Amino acid sequence: MKRLWPPAAFVAVIILIALAAPLLHLADPTRQDVAHRLSGADGGAWLGRDEFGRDVLSRLIWGARTSLAVAFASALIAGAIGTALGLIGGWFRGLGELLALRSADIILCFPPILLALLVVTLLGPGANTLILVLSILYAPGFARVAYAETLTARNHDYVEAVRALGAPTGRILLRTLLPNIAGPVLVQLSLAVASAVVVESGLSFLGLGVVPPSPSWGLMIRGARATMEQAPLLLLWPCAALVVTILAMNLLCDALRDALDPRSAVAQPMLRLVDRLVPGLVPPPGNAASLFEIRNLTLSVDGASGRVHPVEDVSLSLSAGETLAIVGESGSGKSLTALSAMGLLPSAVHPTAGSIWLGGDDLLRFDEPALRQLRGEKLAMIFQDPMSSLNPVHRAGDQVAEAIRAHRKLSQGDARKEALALFRRVGIADPEQRLAAYPHEMSGGMKQRVMIAMAIANRPALLIADEPTTALDVTVQAQILDLLLALKRDTGMAMIFITHSLSVVAEIADRVTVMYAGQVVEEGVVADVFREPLHPYTRALLAASPEGDDPLVGIPGVVPQPNAFPVGCRFAARCVFAAPACTAAPVPLTQARPGRRTRCIRWTELPVTSEVAA
Amino acid sequence: MTRWLLRRIGVSIALAWIVATLVFLALHMVPGDPAVLLLSAGNVAPDPAAVAELHQKLGLDRSLLDQYLSFLVRLLHGDLGNSLVDDYPVIREIALRLPRTLELIIAGSLLAVLLGIPAGTLAAVYRGAFDRIASVTTAFVLAVPVFVLGTLFILLFAQTLRLMPAGGYTPIDRNPVQHFTLLALPATAIALGLAAVIFRMTRASVLDALSRDFVRTARAKGVSPARVITHHVLRNALVPVLTVLGLHMGTLLGGTVLIEYVFNWPGLSTPLLRAVEARDYPMVVGIVLTVSSLFLLINLVMDILYAVLDPRVRAS
Repeated sequence: MKRLWPPAAFVAVIILIALAAPLLHLADPTRQDVAHRLSGADGGAWLGRDEFGRDVLSRLIWGARTSLAVAFASALIAGAIGTALGLIGGWFRGLGELLALRSADIILCFPPILLALLVVTLLGPGANTLILVLSILYAPGFARVAYAETLTARNHDYVEAVRALGAPTGRILLRTLLPNIAGPVLVQLSLAVASAVVVESGLSFLGLGVVPPSPSWGLMIRGARATMEQAPLLLLWPCAALVVTILAMNLLCDALRDALDPRSAVAQPMLRLVDRLVPGLVPPPGNAASLFEIRNLTLSVDGASGRVHPVEDVSLSLSAGETLAIVGESGSGKSLTALSAMGLLPSAVHPTAGSIWLGGDDLLRFDEPALRQLRGEKLAMIFQDPMSSLNPVHRAGDQVAEAIRAHRKLSQGDARKEALALFRRVGIADPEQRLAAYPHEMSGGMKQRVMIAMAIANRPALLIADEPTTALDVTVQAQILDLLLALKRDTGMAMIFITHSLSVVAEIADRVTVMYAGQVVEEGVVADVFREPLHPYTRALLAASPEGDDPLVGIPGVVPQPNAFPVGCRFAARCVFAAPACTAAPVPLTQARPGRRTRCIRWTELPVTSEVAA
Repeated sequence: MTRWLLRRIGVSIALAWIVATLVFLALHMVPGDPAVLLLSAGNVAPDPAAVAELHQKLGLDRSLLDQYLSFLVRLLHGDLGNSLVDDYPVIREIALRLPRTLELIIAGSLLAVLLGIPAGTLAAVYRGAFDRIASVTTAFVLAVPVFVLGTLFILLFAQTLRLMPAGGYTPIDRNPVQHFTLLALPATAIALGLAAVIFRMTRASVLDALSRDFVRTARAKGVSPARVITHHVLRNALVPVLTVLGLHMGTLLGGTVLIEYVFNWPGLSTPLLRAVEARDYPMVVGIVLTVSSLFLLINLVMDILYAVLDPRVRAS
């Protein structure tokens, strides 16, 4: 609401001045004084006199009265008629619906000024004609808004409830529906007033709106044009009055719309990757075998309530050809960790600590062009939702060819041939036809195959798959997993596989990293972790996945939001093993066994798995 | 696609027919004798002989249905009737004036598109200072009615700086340089408002497209930033801009009437304004129908372009 009051106050002042015109002791705006025509700012007329010697200030203020009276009268008439039509159309449907919707289509066919001129031809110029024309012009807009809002509102519970109580229809429309659609109608009203001021002044300027000698800004500009050479100020005053009024009204419209539309909330500040890290400060990984390593990565978001860390101190590594699974519920920070490796973080999220190593290079210190060279070549990524991840306006084959041509100098034809081979490789039926298909012509599974073809096009060393099967049917999920396994076997690429399903982990991964609330809570070789989980969260996840004959046990509660992470163990609130010590201080990630780490201070005291299940 | 196209053209024709019908009925919806209405100036009662003659001329003595049918038949033959003032065929006046108005409209919208789309894209992609400056400028431009802008242009460029002529028209075959010099100010005045609208729509649409998953996919492929913008973002972002642009052409067409008047550009507005004052109904109807049809045609073309750009529309 912060942005609403300045323009509102501004408009209020303009309206007040117009309303107060009779109280301001102004000179009669129509009284001519030809002897003093075009005189400057003296003799009681602060802004001088016009071509007939009339007081310009007085005419400006009385002109505001005329403009605003016409604008408000027509907007209110249009609003009353249009809203009634829309309410009735949305409630009873039928003929009212047709009128509410189609009248707008038809009125829109007439450019506003032309419709106005047509009516002026028939009725002659004047304020009343203007009000009639403007009402005709704006009523359909109100009808459409009210209709759409009524359709939405009539299905809400509170409307159903009033109906069930047997309230008469008129009462429902006026007392229940109208207040609930008032917001959008109010926005429409402010738009109509602003627009009416423009049309009124335009027609008056043509000499076909307000009839002289009544003061009107449009008429004043019309008159001052003739004496532009001698008295340019005469032209500027009404122009300025008109522009300032319309500007204030436009700003009010925008602010009203923003206030009523929660989607257009605060704009996110533009944040960039940190290049603050001093080069060479962090040594490259000592272990030559590791292909990719994330070390102590922290991601930050500057929000309204201060800085939060959706990912904190995350480390993981994998060697060539290895598959690492990252597991956790939604909100654990898995996807953000993966996106930071690609340099594709949303603009509000930025890395504030740590490093990401690919070979001997720290990707966090790469600039965008250098990252672009890597993306799609050494590093590739598949996303969760193939429906939205493919560009709807380009053919599938072209999108794969584009991935090839982004990194290799190939002719369009050669790239297409390679795309065809890739389509065969990822098991797309009728690959020749599918090259020319658009995404909307394909099934979800097929689209994900296209995404995979795109990702493996340049034989990446590391493929990041972010929940690649979550959005797909169960039967298709298995096929995509098999495809990824086969591709990995054939190409020897390493893979980071992000999932929330442990059964998938068992099938595909060598090692697993479990994440919870932005932290790594456990890691180790898949078989070890499954046999003997060292963190209660991993236990709980295992108990919650349909594996073996054990009964399924859900995890009570939800993952906390980044702004509500507790000081101590973040899982303590949902943990059956929690002790007072757990919530006292941050829990470090400790080396439990060779190749095993856990973020639990009580891991030695945990009962073995079989006892938990019992 | 063909079926969609035929249906879309059908809708345009139906709308044109409804517009023609409404314009025809408008004369008869006003209470009283239409002939008396058209002939009355001030409070003076018109001469009965003149009223009778006008009845004869407009066929007002026949039945309403009869009048309507002959109106439609003549319309289909391109006959818009004759001016009540000088008996000159309305269609010939329009044929003379329309190309000049079209030139102004085309120059104005081209300029608006060339200004609005690049500026909107840059503002959305780079944000920062350019975005803020452009957005504030836009808010101001949108607050200036087109006739005020035109008048201020004359005051500044013709009156004060003496850089440009204040208005007028020279046929292109007589003096092309002067023709385009005279076109520059009115075309710019028309363009700025539309450019501001296009800027806002493009900016919002590009911002929306930038946040889409397929843009992330393109970046994940390592596609160059310029190509991400032209091939992925703009191809998607400009589709909605087109449709809204079509609807805003109505404001542009109306603004042309005002701008032609401000700059003495002898397009359709000269006979239109003269006819409104003289209550020359056939002339007004002819010009209103022409401009409305033009508007419908522009929107038809925009929708077809929309379908060309978006394969999903073609399919449905």
